[in-house]
Amino acid sequence: MSARHSLRICAALLLSLAFATAHAAPEASGVKVPANQRFVLPNGLTVVLVPNREVPLIAFSGFVRGGALVDPAGKPGVAAEVAGLLDRGAGKRSAFEFADDIEGVGGSFNAAAGAEAINFNGQFMARDMKLMIELLADALMRPHLDADEFAKFRDRDIEFIKAAKDSDPSQLLPEYGRARLFSGHPYAQPQGGSERSLAALTQSDIVAYHAAYFGADRTVLVFAGFFDANAMKDALKAAFGGWAKARSALPKLKAAPRATGRSVLLVDSPGSVQTYFWLGNVGVNKYYSGRPALDLVNTLYGGRFTSILNTELRIKSGLTYGASSRFTRGTVPGEFAIQSFTQTDDTGKAIDLALETLDKLKHDALDPAMLESARAYVLGQYPLRLETAAHWAAALADLEFYGLGKEYIEGYGPALAKVDQAEAAAVTADAFPRPEDLVIVLIGDAARIREAAAKYGPVTEMKITQPDFSPASK
Amino acid sequence: MPTASLGRTLSLGLLAFATLAAAAPPRNTVPPEYVVHGEDQVKSLTLANGMKVIVWTDRDIPNVALYNWVRVGSRNEVPGITGLAHFFEHMMFNGTSKRKPGEFDRAMEAQGGSNNAFTTDDVTVYQDWVPRAALDLAFDLESDRLANLSFDPKVIESERGVVYSERRLRTEDSNEGFLAEQVQGTAFIAHPYQNPTVGWPADIQGWTVEDLQKFFKTNYAPNNCTLILVGDVGAEEVFALAKKYLEPIPRQEPPPKVRTTEPEQLGERRVRVQRDASTPLLYAAYKSPAANDPQGPAINLLFSILTEGNSSRLHRQLVEEKKLAIDVAGRFQEGFDPGLSWLMLTLPEGARVPAVEAALDQALAQVVQQGVTDAELARAKNLFLSGFWKGLATVNGKASALGAFEVFEGDYRKLFSAPETYRKVTREDVQKAAALIFQKAHRTVGVLEAPPQAAAPAAPAAEAKP
Repeated sequence: MSARHSLRICAALLLSLAFATAHAAPEASGVKVPANQRFVLPNGLTVVLVPNREVPLIAFSGFVRGGALVDPAGKPGVAAEVAGLLDRGAGKRSAFEFADDIEGVGGSFNAAAGAEAINFNGQFMARDMKLMIELLADALMRPHLDADEFAKFRDRDIEFIKAAKDSDPSQLLPEYGRARLFSGHPYAQPQGGSERSLAALTQSDIVAYHAAYFGADRTVLVFAGFFDANAMKDALKAAFGGWAKARSALPKLKAAPRATGRSVLLVDSPGSVQTYFWLGNVGVNKYYSGRPALDLVNTLYGGRFTSILNTELRIKSGLTYGASSRFTRGTVPGEFAIQSFTQTDDTGKAIDLALETLDKLKHDALDPAMLESARAYVLGQYPLRLETAAHWAAALADLEFYGLGKEYIEGYGPALAKVDQAEAAAVTADAFPRPEDLVIVLIGDAARIREAAAKYGPVTEMKITQPDFSPASK
Repeated sequence: MPTASLGRTLSLGLLAFATLAAAAPPRNTVPPEYVVHGEDQVKSLTLANGMKVIVWTDRDIPNVALYNWVRVGSRNEVPGITGLAHFFEHMMFNGTSKRKPGEFDRAMEAQGGSNNAFTTDDVTVYQDWVPRAALDLAFDLESDRLANLSFDPKVIESERGVVYSERRLRTEDSNEGFLAEQVQGTAFIAHPYQNPTVGWPADIQGWTVEDLQKFFKTNYAPNNCTLILVGDVGAEEVFALAKKYLEPIPRQEPPPKVRTTEPEQLGERRVRVQRDASTPLLYAAYKSPAANDPQGPAINLLFSILTEGNSSRLHRQLVEEKKLAIDVAGRFQEGFDPGLSWLMLTLPEGARVPAVEAALDQALAQVVQQGVTDAELARAKNLFLSGFWKGLATVNGKASALGAFEVFEGDYRKLFSAPETYRKVTREDVQKAAALIFQKAHRTVGVLEAPPQAAAPAAPAAEAKP
């Protein structure tokens, strides 16, 4: 929906539109950032507006810098609880009134803590623009952070972790993996907290976080959709112009060191019929110069259906329903991780195969035809991820967060086109870990896989019912 | 969640049954959110072999979404071959007489396309998302597997492992999946909706190449398929490709009708599952009409009022006010035949299930007796309306919605009149729907909780709970 108005809603209005996005780029690589207005209010609030009238909705996306990074020592989950409480009572509305007024008009508002920011997004029908801005300003500037609401919300978050252990343990693998891989670094903190850390939080932790780290100069708001840019600008100035700057400084993140050697965390889930596994090490950051080559190599290795990993573990052997790999890239390097699962008795076989594929990747040259295939794939799929107003709101907020220009999007296709064998080999050597250097996490029936696990390095064991994502915490 | 939909890969979302509604009646000028343009841009053609092709041109992005809806699902299975429709979905990617196993994916990805597929009780749907330049290839690949599918015994064995792994992930290692399967299996005593879409373990391990061949011949007739294309392509171009690649596939005898109808349920059924669990589950599945029932919109709005969002009635009462549940989900599961509507509650550790059930029953009785408020109905209509527009913002969402209306409602044009259909629903309609659905004699209740502690001393057990 970056450009054309196939629905031809309100054709008369279209004539007066001042925006012109690149429509239907002739090639997939021709993705263009839609015309937009960017301005910074005197209090430091950054706003980006992307008018687009394809459907009668307004999407927003934004963030307040901070996040799990500034959770107080030993108290992971504070930022997550702040995020969750933003719309549970704010301004003149109680928690129930706030929910009634958002959903009553068919709107949405979601907020969650990431590693380095509290991120939020939502969508309202265009006719409710005024209400949307009022609610958003209240949620960010005037949340009640009420004691009862906090207790209720926090208690439920604790139960949700238990429910995940009951019904989808694989979704917790990255929490266990990061806790171990980044031990001692802020990225080790579970962004949503753990059962134990959440239980220890108090309302004053929540209030203190908001007072210290929320402020206009830490915040970016991006709106995309069906609105008049001038009217929106005026409304935003009125609603957010009086917001103060944040009081406390943000710490500067340092890169975590890569793990050397191998170690295994075995999380015992008695009776589990499969083993869910995660193999990771520290990867690269958002600014990594080899990004286009890295995206191609990871697409080939574990990023698509016919990837090397999925071919070996699923297509050829039938060991699993899925195997994949990905890089998580922050302002400093996040993790590279392989994730998959297999029936308990095949645990060793599947992990051996995964390690073999990584070893081959590190040692063998990539087939040029495969590189071409990955290039076509990444280029061909790229427009589908930048189709709607909501996609563009999220993408432009991402650029703002990392201080990247539109070249990051528009230059991506041309940069992909230039990646050659040598560059692919260079990022493979540089960014992918050796199979000898991995943090390994297994969730499964320890009595049946303990022996297999020991093959891969020194094993530390914990029970899945333990209330933290790491055995070390007291 | 009930295992209504099983995807080929983990990335897949649930089948997006288009959820559609409108709010206040338009006055003199119709506001844009109530006007769905584009019906005149949708073109359709029925090929000589009976396959219907529907095209909606949308040139926003240089890509095309292609959906092939096949009217076959787990309701077309019999004992011994449960799960075969879903397994078949996997095998549709695994080789033809012209292409080796895996070639479908390799060729499509090399031209920039991706794909997926999913199976439900009622349908199997194949999805391709391709750059427009790869459209010819997509038609070639789709027609090849419909005309020339072949089965390599080695591939059947390895794919059996893949599907069993999917079952372990979603059912055996998942309390939610496990309970849903038990409830669905208990709710039907005759109709094949009792079959789990992924299949029973012994059937997964037991089906044969002959079973697959027979299933293909019976169900994959071109006249049992509906093709939907949305994106950067004109209708004439699509029709030419369809005539070239798909029309030569001969029409076949359509699959036999599902003969069995479920006899009326005359009393509540209950199923208890004892499994290791911190958070107990309480599910209730009510017998409900088919997707094309005129009360469908009212039932959808009823479930939105009860369970959609933080301001929904059951969430507010049971989660926020009484703190009896940590999550309440619900939906009307729309199919070709009368099926189920679900309420699914996740309870906090240590919950007393009967007390929660009593509170749930009280809340449902209140809806049946007193109906819903104007504000609740307006909210539900607005949520449907915004969901409708979010769906229509992508070529993929349009393809999904067109297909759902064509296949389940009998006419894709109903997509364009849906806001009007939903706008007309009244409070009385919703109350009537509640009275129709929430009948205790027509429900199956499922409870999953940890087995009672053994008579052993309580201390060690308490210690194990950190």
